[in-house]
Amino acid sequence: MSKHQYAMVMDLNKCLGCQTCTIACKKLWTDRDGTGYMYWNNVETRPGLGYPRQWDRIGGGWKDGSLQPSPLPTMDDYGHAWEYNYEQRLYEGKKQPVMPSPEPKSGVNWDEDVGGMNEDENYFFYLPRICNHCTHPACLEACPRKAIYKRDEDGIVVIDQERCQGYRYCIKACPYKKIYFNEVMGKSEKCIFCYPRLEKGQVNACAAQCPGRLRFVGLLDDPESPVHKLVLVHKIALPLFPEKGTQPNVFYVPPFNPPKRENYGKSIQEDPRVPLDYLIYLFGPEVKDVIVRLESELRKTQEGGRSEALQLLIGRDAETRYRVRPQLVQIQL
Amino acid sequence: MKTRPLLIVVSAVSLLSSMIWAQAGTKPAAGQALSAATSSTSADNLLHAGSAAWGPIAVKHIALNRTPPLYDTDEAATLEISTVDVRLARVGGKLLVQLIWRDPTHDAVTLAEVPNTAPETRFRKVPTEADDRFFDAAAVMFPEKSGINAMAPSLQMGDTEHPVEIYYWNSTRGAMLMQAQGRSTTKRTGRTFPVSATYQNGQWSVNLELPDLPAGTPVAFAVWNGSQKDRDGRKYFSVWQVLE
Repeated sequence: MSKHQYAMVMDLNKCLGCQTCTIACKKLWTDRDGTGYMYWNNVETRPGLGYPRQWDRIGGGWKDGSLQPSPLPTMDDYGHAWEYNYEQRLYEGKKQPVMPSPEPKSGVNWDEDVGGMNEDENYFFYLPRICNHCTHPACLEACPRKAIYKRDEDGIVVIDQERCQGYRYCIKACPYKKIYFNEVMGKSEKCIFCYPRLEKGQVNACAAQCPGRLRFVGLLDDPESPVHKLVLVHKIALPLFPEKGTQPNVFYVPPFNPPKRENYGKSIQEDPRVPLDYLIYLFGPEVKDVIVRLESELRKTQEGGRSEALQLLIGRDAETRYRVRPQLVQIQL
Repeated sequence: MKTRPLLIVVSAVSLLSSMIWAQAGTKPAAGQALSAATSSTSADNLLHAGSAAWGPIAVKHIALNRTPPLYDTDEAATLEISTVDVRLARVGGKLLVQLIWRDPTHDAVTLAEVPNTAPETRFRKVPTEADDRFFDAAAVMFPEKSGINAMAPSLQMGDTEHPVEIYYWNSTRGAMLMQAQGRSTTKRTGRTFPVSATYQNGQWSVNLELPDLPAGTPVAFAVWNGSQKDRDGRKYFSVWQVLE
C-alpha cells in the first residue's frame, strides 16, 4: 500500500463524448514515434466494442489470488494509426481526394453512438477510460523485470522505461488493457496520471480540458478532496469491473438519469433508460444502491431541499473538482 | 490443453535437474566439456556469415531444455527445438562462437528506421506496425569472473556473488551486451558486439564474437523462438558447459 492514493471520479451523466480529454492526453504524451495507435485516455461508446476491441471480455486481473493473463490484443483490435495524403493533394497537385491510409477498419471509438437496444429504444452512453492506478495492480505483479512500480507517495503506477524490456506480460495481465506496446522503442507505456503536472500543482490534462467538467481529482485518503467525498462519504461512485480484483482508483458515477419515458417524479428504477443489467455488468451489483442514493438526492432537490452530493457533482469550479497536493512529493535526489 | 500438466511436469523435471546446476558455488560435472579449436584463420573470416572456415571445427550438439509457462493461462511451452549445435574457435585473443539450430519459423522483421530528428519536429511519426510479435534470439552466458575452477553461478542469470555477462542477439534488434546478478536483474549495458546471422532452409546460423575466455569457464546457451511467443525466461536453455 502506498502512503497516499490519487484517484479520479468521472460522472458519466455529464460525458459528451467529445474526445477533448483524448486529444489533451495525446498531444501531451503520445505524439512520439510508435505511439500513433495508443490513447492513454480514450472515450468509448457503451455498450460497444471498446478499445481495444472486446477488452472487457478477454480476461486479465485476478482470480482466487492468481493472475489471469488474457491473449494479447492485436493491432487490428486497437486500430492502426492512419495518416492522410495531404501533401499529395495540396502540394503535389494530385487530383485524388484526401484519403486515410492504411484504410481504417477499427479505431478508438469505432462504433460511436451505436449503443444497444433497451426493448424498443436505442440507448448508449460514453465511458472515458484511463489507467486505473490500481491498489493491487495485476500489471505490476506480472512484470518479471520488476519494471512497474507504484509510487509510495501518491499511488500512481508507472513503468520504469530503463527496466522495461517489452515482454508485454503486463498488457496480458491488465484487465482494462491500459498498457500499450511501443514496438519502435521496444517498451510498454501507459497513463502516468500526469504526475509531472500534479507535482507542479496542475491537475491532469484530461481533467483540465474536459468541457463537461465531469472529472474530479484528489487523494482518496484526503477527507477534504472531492474524490474522497464522492467515493467514501456520499458513496455514489464505483470502480469498473470490481470483480477483476485489482481495486481500481478511477471511479464512475453511473449514468442514471433521466428515466426512459417521462422525466419527473418517476423512479429511474421503474423505467431505466440504461438497462440495470448492463450497469451491473460494468460496475457490479452495488450500482443498484448507488442509483437509489442518487435518486434520493435528486428527489431531495426536486422537493426544494439541498443535496451536498449533487452540488459537488455539478462541480462549478476547479477548486470544487480538484484538490492537488504538490507538497506531497518527496524529492529524491 | 490436456497434455499441459504432463508438459509442466516434464519441463519442471528438466528445470529441476538444471537447478542443481543452478545452485551457486557448484562445479559443472565432467561430460559437459566444451572444446574450443584454435583457428589459424582471422576472426573476421569466422564472423562472416556462412564462412567455410568453420568447416573443420568439431560440432557439439547441446541439449536444450524448455522453461515451463509462467502463468496458467500462458500457451504451452512445447519443445520444438531440442538441440543447438555449437562450435568454438579461439583466434587472436577472441572467442568466436557459432550457434546453429533448426527453427521452421523465421521470426524477424526490419523495423522502420527512426529519423535522426526529434519526433515533435516531424509531422509524421514512425508507427508501431504490430504489437503482438516476438522474435527469434540467442544468447551466450558466462560468469563475469571466469577462470580455472570457477564456480558456476546460478543458471538463472547468475547471483549476487557471481554476476554474469550475457551476449544476446535478437533477429530484429541486433546484438546487445547484458549483465545480471540473478533472476530479473538483467540490464542492458548499452554496449554491443560483432555478430552475423543467417536464416536458410529452416535453420539459424549465428556467429558471435566474444572476448577470449580461459579454460574452465562455465558457459551456457539460450535460444528463443518468436513463433512460440518466447521472450524473457520463456525460452530454451542449456545447462552449464565447461570450456576446455
